[in-house]
Amino acid sequence: MKAFKYHKLSIILLLLFGPWISKINAQDSVASKTQLSISYFLPVNNLPYLEVNTRKKNGRKFEAVTNIPVNIYFDQAERKNLLGQVTTDSTGKGRIGLPASFKNEWDSLNEFKFIAEESSPQGEALSADITIKKAILTIDTTSADGTRMVTAELKEKNGDNWIPVKDIDMVLSIKRLLGNLSVGDKETYTSDSTGVSRAEFKRDSIPGDQKGNIILVAQIVDNDNYGNLAVEKLVNWGTPVKPPKNFFAQRALWSIRTETPFWLLFTVYSIVLGIWGTFIYLIFQVRKIKKLGA
Amino acid sequence: MENFKNLSDEKIITDLLPQKFGRRGMIWTTGLMVLCGIGGFAYIKQLKEGLIVTNMGDYVSWGIYISNFVFFVAVSLVGSLITAIFRLSGVQWRTPLTRIAEIIAVSNITFAALIIIVDMGRPERLYFLFNHGRIQSPILWDVIVITTYFFLSLFLLYITLIPDISLMISLKFKIGKRFSKIYKWLASFWKGTEGQEKLRDRAITILCVTIVPVAFCIHTVTSWLFATTYRPGWDSSNFGAYFVSGAFLVGAGAVVVAMYIYRRVYKLDRYITDDHFNKMGKITVLLALLYLYFNVNEFLVPAFKMKNEEKDYLNGLLNGDYSLMFWFAVLTGMIIPILIMIFKKGRKPLPMFVAGIMIVVAAWFKRYLIVTPTLLHPFLPKYDSPLRFNHYFPSWEEWAITIGSMAGVLLIITFFTRFFPIISIYKTLEDKHTITKKTETIEQYESVQIS
Repeated sequence: MKAFKYHKLSIILLLLFGPWISKINAQDSVASKTQLSISYFLPVNNLPYLEVNTRKKNGRKFEAVTNIPVNIYFDQAERKNLLGQVTTDSTGKGRIGLPASFKNEWDSLNEFKFIAEESSPQGEALSADITIKKAILTIDTTSADGTRMVTAELKEKNGDNWIPVKDIDMVLSIKRLLGNLSVGDKETYTSDSTGVSRAEFKRDSIPGDQKGNIILVAQIVDNDNYGNLAVEKLVNWGTPVKPPKNFFAQRALWSIRTETPFWLLFTVYSIVLGIWGTFIYLIFQVRKIKKLGA
Repeated sequence: MENFKNLSDEKIITDLLPQKFGRRGMIWTTGLMVLCGIGGFAYIKQLKEGLIVTNMGDYVSWGIYISNFVFFVAVSLVGSLITAIFRLSGVQWRTPLTRIAEIIAVSNITFAALIIIVDMGRPERLYFLFNHGRIQSPILWDVIVITTYFFLSLFLLYITLIPDISLMISLKFKIGKRFSKIYKWLASFWKGTEGQEKLRDRAITILCVTIVPVAFCIHTVTSWLFATTYRPGWDSSNFGAYFVSGAFLVGAGAVVVAMYIYRRVYKLDRYITDDHFNKMGKITVLLALLYLYFNVNEFLVPAFKMKNEEKDYLNGLLNGDYSLMFWFAVLTGMIIPILIMIFKKGRKPLPMFVAGIMIVVAAWFKRYLIVTPTLLHPFLPKYDSPLRFNHYFPSWEEWAITIGSMAGVLLIITFFTRFFPIISIYKTLEDKHTITKKTETIEQYESVQIS
């Protein structure tokens, strides 16, 4: 009885919410329809491209949907506006660079609408669109009183002018081998009224290349108006990492073939000579047998 | 040995001389040649298009080819077990098994070397191993030791064959002109004089002493190809012993299978007796127990600790994607054969044959499990790689080449059996005469009346 009292609250909660929880789980376990999305990228090399992504929710996870042919249009889904066709790969993604024939529109307009439509008639008639404002992201650094700052500025094209954009979240980071590391404590930095976001560089002892160079990266990720923009700058703010002097010139296991440790040479050659010496001796024995039979 | 002591020398020679292929033999050989042909076709395709025809990628860069290589190296170790170790330890009943073991060793080590070239993708770069190879690298040690073992095994096979080939020449064994010339080139000098006998006997003993450490080296060095890299499942100080014990087991299993087939096909019941199966059964049980012991050390101890870095890999083997194959390999390759062969009835030819097949098949999958799951679980995070790199299943070209190489091994053994005696006639006659002499001596002793 005491146990019942103790667990009474749990039982009531279970009765109340049990069916609802099971319903959520049931919904999770059903695979949803395929979703198509389109994103805009302006990477470091300034060659803009569009990326489509087809995926499906299965349980609580998204799964890539592969081999979906997708047509990409500019402004309206009409044949004359077709920019190209992509087929999603094993990751559910397909990428297309903006073609050279799009140059006139690119130069004359400030806002672009891109439409993605599944091109297979047997498919689920998937479609998605995105509207992007033409923008430019720049990165710079300042150094004063021993404080080093990283700044990034976003400007959008308005008429013939480039005007700063405020309240945009930017990622300011340092390029590392397997990912990027934020330059400061925060993950993102928001631009002020001058379109500039600032972060204090707090990674003073970060290892750079042999000259101490590191690459700073400013990014705008998945912004509704501007898409994905990235820009890089090489600075000499890292600690030079030089390989130890004569690292490969010493006789060690990791050295080049002419710098094999003596003990290893001795061991290997003694074994090889010992065994092959015996083998050659045995061949001579067979020659002797041969002579005896001649 | 008692079984053939009453047979005449002529009968023994007739029984043991190579025989022409019958209908079944022709079908068997043609089948193997077709498989080799398909493998060859797949290899030409791989040569033309590159390793892209395989399903290997950045992570699984050693796939089914290297699993197969490890398997061949393992099986080849049996030559040293049966011939060298048995001879040095004075095992008298070894005669009908030695040549079977030797040809298994030669054929397997030949294809082990070839499969490495297949895995390289660019065979013309083989010489890079020598002019750019670093002696610090276990890969170069493996190249050296495989080459050495190949020549030693071939030499062992040859030196034990000399009197038999000489006998075949003297009997004018009809095999065609071209082959007669080869026989003559190989052994026409053998007269069986005391001096020749002495030299040959001494050479075989020296060879046996030499081949045992080389055999241990060949599989230990192969294990070091894995163990000298820091990866889950390979980072083990136990690997050399684990590989060598596994190799002895699969080699013994292969010999048992071959013993059964030769006994049935060539009606060699008098020479490969139930007693041979019984004794090989005892040895195989011992080897299976030893290998099981190393497996407990290799898997259960790390699983008990379940270090974070090895968690995915171990779970994948014990109850994940590879669990079916893993438990199949453990049960079929060790536990069931032990349960069969531990009882006297299980050491009869047929159950032994079944157990041998189980050991060999499971051993192949065991090698696949040593190579692939580890490669799929690197310590460094997988970064910016296609999704397909997370899985590995060999392409048809890989399967065709692998099956073709296995057929190649069997083809070497088959052709060898066609042209050379698979049981040493010379040694069998020697054994017979020793028994007869012994019996006569005993009878003489028994006939002496003690007053």
